[in-house]
Amino acid sequence: MGTAIEVKNLSRRHRSVAALDDVTVSFEANTIHGLLGRNGAGKTSLMSIIAGQDWPSEGEVRVFGQRPHENEAVLPRMCFVREDQKYMDDAKPGHVFTAASLAYPNWDADLAQRLIEDFHLPMKTKINKLSRGQRSAVAVIIGLACRANITFFDEPYIGLDAAARQLFYDRLLEDYAENPRTIVVSSHLIDEIAPLIEHIVLLDRGRVLVDESADELRERAVTLIGRWDHVQDVIGGREILRREELGRLVRVTVLGGLGADEQARARELDLDIAPVSLQQLVVHLSARQGATLETAKEA
Amino acid sequence: MAKASTLSRTYAAFRLQFLTPNLVIVPGIVFVFGWAVALGIFFWVDGVATDRDPVAEPMFAGGSQAPLWCLAFMAAYVGSHTFPFSQALSFSRKVFLAGTLAAFAAVSVGFGVAFVLAAWTEELTNGFGIHGYNFAIPYLTSQGLGVTGFVAAAACWFVMLLGFTIVMLYKRLGLTNTWLVIIAVIVVILAAVLLTVTNVGWSGLWGWFGGLTPMALLGWLMVPAVVLTLASYALIRRASPV
Repeated sequence: MGTAIEVKNLSRRHRSVAALDDVTVSFEANTIHGLLGRNGAGKTSLMSIIAGQDWPSEGEVRVFGQRPHENEAVLPRMCFVREDQKYMDDAKPGHVFTAASLAYPNWDADLAQRLIEDFHLPMKTKINKLSRGQRSAVAVIIGLACRANITFFDEPYIGLDAAARQLFYDRLLEDYAENPRTIVVSSHLIDEIAPLIEHIVLLDRGRVLVDESADELRERAVTLIGRWDHVQDVIGGREILRREELGRLVRVTVLGGLGADEQARARELDLDIAPVSLQQLVVHLSARQGATLETAKEA
Repeated sequence: MAKASTLSRTYAAFRLQFLTPNLVIVPGIVFVFGWAVALGIFFWVDGVATDRDPVAEPMFAGGSQAPLWCLAFMAAYVGSHTFPFSQALSFSRKVFLAGTLAAFAAVSVGFGVAFVLAAWTEELTNGFGIHGYNFAIPYLTSQGLGVTGFVAAAACWFVMLLGFTIVMLYKRLGLTNTWLVIIAVIVVILAAVLLTVTNVGWSGLWGWFGGLTPMALLGWLMVPAVVLTLASYALIRRASPV
């Protein structure tokens, strides 16, 4: 498949604040990537630099083997519509889509029209009079219909209600199946986008915490439910990410998957084995990293 | 996947400026309204001043410059609103700037043509029969209406670049530094004026201005216009779209 985006030792500082700190990561082509992390983790900064809208303080970014900043050979192949995208005040959605159709060589007008109908987007209303959800829909329609080789969706769910979000996920998957391309979705609603994403990059305080396939990540942890002494028997010295008391039972999430013998032992002890949701895992990993950093700072 | 040529993308950046008609309609309204107000004042003065000899005492108004200031604001709006949107369309800054400068040039040519037509109308009708002139100012028309049009277009180009560059300065340096740069430029201009006056006196300075033909004015206008063009590119290369 090849690599679409390569980021090496990338740092971005705004005065004394480091938005990105020595980030090295790559994004495979024709894959849906989840770019996850808490507020201020550096997700938008990373996407901005890859999309050529911002520039690194140190390190380098290559998109299809070339530097993106001011590079017309690469830029038309990327689309990055911000969640808080600024439009011309008097523009209506039609104006914006016309502009996008002129800018993107692969613009699919039929798909755009279908999405306009799906999202019930009022075409005669000025964009600055649209609701937040409708503005999100405008961004989502540009992102899908532009059919750019690389498309970034920065928190696309903001403003969309649950039904509209599901519609977006459905249309994204449908179109991706027909026209595979590199898609990077940044989101807080991790479990909601979990079925979409094949690869995960988790940022925390400007650093890469996780860079692996979604399946591998899911296998990195497991939840056991049952009596505490039975759970202890199975997990051994594994790191406990989370422990909840459920009456006489406990629900324990541990780092590290179970082997076949351990799974058999768990069944023997009448323990329930539950997969860990990506959201839980990401929260645990972020919290653990945060604690590690705090400890290191205090030391 | 289809490939986009730089030329087609520059054209797209040019079209982007005219997707909403504001860049033409708003200055157009100011042009017509400013002229109408000037005419209203001319006819009022003509009606009140019954002993006035229209040929010996023609009336002149400066309302023809009103659309220029409006265009400066519209160009600033291009920097503040259209530029961030252009980044969502993945235009490189140089392509966006090329399309924008082409759009400013088109608007400037349009302004020059409208100015000439208005001045020609005023000359043809002897200032609407009462010798009231808003566009056919003797100095501007002294070398013919062709030169008048070029001067008007150059002035338009200059003020649009000025508005656009100031916004780029703000986007690049922030509010405080923008004001510091503006103050520094004013100080430099004042120092240059002071030095000139010290050497040749006010009469020398005004004499130089008075001796400028419209064609020479056009040439001098090109100097800051070129400086602003280069400055706008230097600034937009590292200007933040947010």
